[in-house]
Amino acid sequence: MDPFESIKATFFQECEELLTDMESGLLAMEQGDDDSETINAVFRAVHSVKGGAGAFGLEELIRFAHVFETVLDEMRSGKLHLTDEVAKVLLRASDVLADHVAAARSGGSVDEGRTVGMIADLQGLIDQDRAAELGLNEDGDTSAVEEDFGFVPVVLSLDEPAADAPEVDVAALMAAAAAPPEVPTADGAGTAGAPFWRVTFRPKAEMYAKANEAALVLRELARLGDVEVALDASAVPPLDQLSAEQAYLTWTIRLSGDKSEAEVREVFEFVEDDCDLEVTREGEAVAEISEPSFAADEDASASAVEAAAAAPLDLDALLARVSTPPAEPAAPTAPAPEPVAAAPLPAATPPAQDPARLDVAGLIALAEKASQDHAQTQSTPAKAEPKADQKAEARAAAGPATAATPTIRVDLDRVDRLINAVGELVIQQAMLSQRVFESGLARSSDVALGLEDLELLTREIQDSVMAIRAQPVKSVFQRMPRLVREVADMVGKKVRLVMDGENTEVDKTVIERLSDPITHMLRNAIDHGLETPEEREAGGKAAEGTVRLAALHRGGRIVIEVQDDGRGINRPRVRGIAVAKGLIAEDAVLSDDEIDNLIFLPGFSTADVVSDISGRGVGMDVVKRSIQALGGRISITSEPGKGSKFSMSLPLTLAVLDGMVVSAADQTLVAPLSNIVESLTPRAEDVHLIGGRDAVICIRDTFVPLIDVGVALGFRDTPLPPASGVAVLVESEGGGKAALLVEAIQGQRQVVIKSLEANYQHIHGVAAATILGDGRVALILDVDALVTTSRRKAPRIEKRMAV
Amino acid sequence: MPAPGAIKTLIADDQQSMRSLIRTSLNALGINQTREAADGEDALRALLAQPANLVITDFNMPKLDGLGLLRAIRAHGPISKTAVIMLTGRADRELVQRAVQFGVNNYLVKPFTTATLKEKIEAVFGPLE
Repeated sequence: MDPFESIKATFFQECEELLTDMESGLLAMEQGDDDSETINAVFRAVHSVKGGAGAFGLEELIRFAHVFETVLDEMRSGKLHLTDEVAKVLLRASDVLADHVAAARSGGSVDEGRTVGMIADLQGLIDQDRAAELGLNEDGDTSAVEEDFGFVPVVLSLDEPAADAPEVDVAALMAAAAAPPEVPTADGAGTAGAPFWRVTFRPKAEMYAKANEAALVLRELARLGDVEVALDASAVPPLDQLSAEQAYLTWTIRLSGDKSEAEVREVFEFVEDDCDLEVTREGEAVAEISEPSFAADEDASASAVEAAAAAPLDLDALLARVSTPPAEPAAPTAPAPEPVAAAPLPAATPPAQDPARLDVAGLIALAEKASQDHAQTQSTPAKAEPKADQKAEARAAAGPATAATPTIRVDLDRVDRLINAVGELVIQQAMLSQRVFESGLARSSDVALGLEDLELLTREIQDSVMAIRAQPVKSVFQRMPRLVREVADMVGKKVRLVMDGENTEVDKTVIERLSDPITHMLRNAIDHGLETPEEREAGGKAAEGTVRLAALHRGGRIVIEVQDDGRGINRPRVRGIAVAKGLIAEDAVLSDDEIDNLIFLPGFSTADVVSDISGRGVGMDVVKRSIQALGGRISITSEPGKGSKFSMSLPLTLAVLDGMVVSAADQTLVAPLSNIVESLTPRAEDVHLIGGRDAVICIRDTFVPLIDVGVALGFRDTPLPPASGVAVLVESEGGGKAALLVEAIQGQRQVVIKSLEANYQHIHGVAAATILGDGRVALILDVDALVTTSRRKAPRIEKRMAV
Repeated sequence: MPAPGAIKTLIADDQQSMRSLIRTSLNALGINQTREAADGEDALRALLAQPANLVITDFNMPKLDGLGLLRAIRAHGPISKTAVIMLTGRADRELVQRAVQFGVNNYLVKPFTTATLKEKIEAVFGPLE
């Protein structure tokens, strides 16, 4: 690929991350977070998108990003204040920006009217005079007029030691840097060092009495970012007056990073009642570091062993100490031995910084000390590792010195190949076990015992491999705020989306297929669940409706919930529709739950009556089917006037399944365990034929269809006499029950799912295939399809199987 | 007449694509000794470990921005004489003035061409060979 094109591809990848950052920042702002760091992060994201767009000549993107950036800059400099309205406009602008990026990427374009409208809305946030002053009303000419600045480049000579270059007034530069970093202009965001948290932590005796340990808390805090801890041990009395049960120590921690106050306080969650805790945000890092409490850290170090363990030295602080006049090594007059490996430059051209003249060694030594201190603390984030090691530096010089994170990117194909191989391993292991068992070796023999260990190990490998594919549902969830905004705008409702459990992990294939059902349920919740603002106010509710999207793990499955605080299901209406459509009998007695769940019935409603339906139900059968295709189930609970909650639960992975191995018509089949309710041997008198053809079985006074699996799948034509087989009572995801008549049950087993579609073709009633321990292929039954077919009294399956 | 190959350069930008672009331009000028850093703090560490002749830094970076990096460089004797060229996304007078106050050697407005980059470097070091 052309290097330029490949850089461009990198840029678009970065854009995705930038847009995500931007949106999460804006969402925080929508919740009232007007922290300068948040605004700054959003600005930076838009700014970076614009910068890259400039480099690649993406004109439309530049034009829009420029207006967006300018508005954010006004906000950053405090000239525009965050209000609900402003946040909403910015969020919509972020959607348009995302569209522009997508358009630029695919070479398409964004609807001009939308862009112009959005630009007008953004300009509307700024008053006219100011907009004119910023040149916003002109057509986005962002080109630089450099000469206006009267800038004179500062010349350096590469051929001579820079210290001798008369043009550089080193003393003045030093003075400028050492001067109190008061903000030279109103727009101060740039000059400050990163803001940080100053945490004062004074445990009381009670805290220790409850077996809480300060060191653990400090260590926990150190996970949030770089920390620098100062210990105030001045309250410790002389030894003869010291009470072992009293608390005397106070820690002051400087925590850098972009954590919220809540995150910082969370660390102290369990001890906050038993300590004095102050958390303050401070911004001017460079100036603050030289405060006595930190400058004195070396004196305090003897008593601060605990603190040091949790506190890697901060490079900023180190540098600040180097820069403060008393600590400054007299650089020009104290020649250090020339570090041989430090700067291998061609001899003909000495470097600007002659290592012999400057105390690079001293600085490196300090940096190495920082590195060692880092090494002593296990909790130090890897990215904070100073690159003091010369070798590491050499490597960094070879490749980009990006911040190292303990993750690697792996091609998905490789992971899938690994998963496939592990699947085979599991099968092979099962086959081996079975053969050994059949060969008559004693259970207690070495071989059998070794095989047991192998089985445990195999299971462990399988779990670990599955975990590689697990991803947080965040990637799906983060697309939803935009959807909610758009749908809400479209139907004229006010909606607040609350999301929970975005970090819940689930298999990648499941994630990819979650998007549609969630989208559908959210649309439905906004369109049909929530009332209009007027209706809500009339009903004594807040005008803004709340929709909650949550993910959680429950019983080895992932549960996704979509809950609204709208009007709930209009049961009489739903019932009426169901009766009118002939889905239920007019005199059917249904519980409230059953009525609610009618909306999932196929044919309950169709897309062409969307606008006529006041209750729920649009296409919910489609949602249900797509969830069932994933081996999931969906249900609804509703309370009139209070709202509804959809819950769907899905298996965490689509690769393995717990199944019951059964035999029917000389075939070995697997029924998913999650569908099985019970199994029994039918008595002849419990089985009745309806219309002389369709068998039902009476189980504890309830009639359920009896499906002869051998016949249903076309293995044979004549049904098995019920009394000579075993009936397995199954429940479909939709709650429908049926009894599967098979010849025998062989046992329960975990099987690796092999797609039948990929290797053969889709067969009604069969979900997939697997390979059993004896090497035979077994089909996995699609219980839902079998049950639905039997209940709908659809024509019998004619297709003969070619297995 | 400095040899381009002798100018050890550190590129500081939080965007990989920008770093790649700058590096490509530098390489086109014969400046092949380049290193990269993803933010100001990263850049500072890299400089401390091994000095450079020239730092081309973006203004807008997380952790430590370009101005902060510039100040830190100027404040620390051993590396204080590193040439610094500041990249800005916009022609921002205030920003450039502040950078001047902290001793920036030159500045460069994005987007830029390789020719402009050459001009800016030559304004600091003299004509490249």
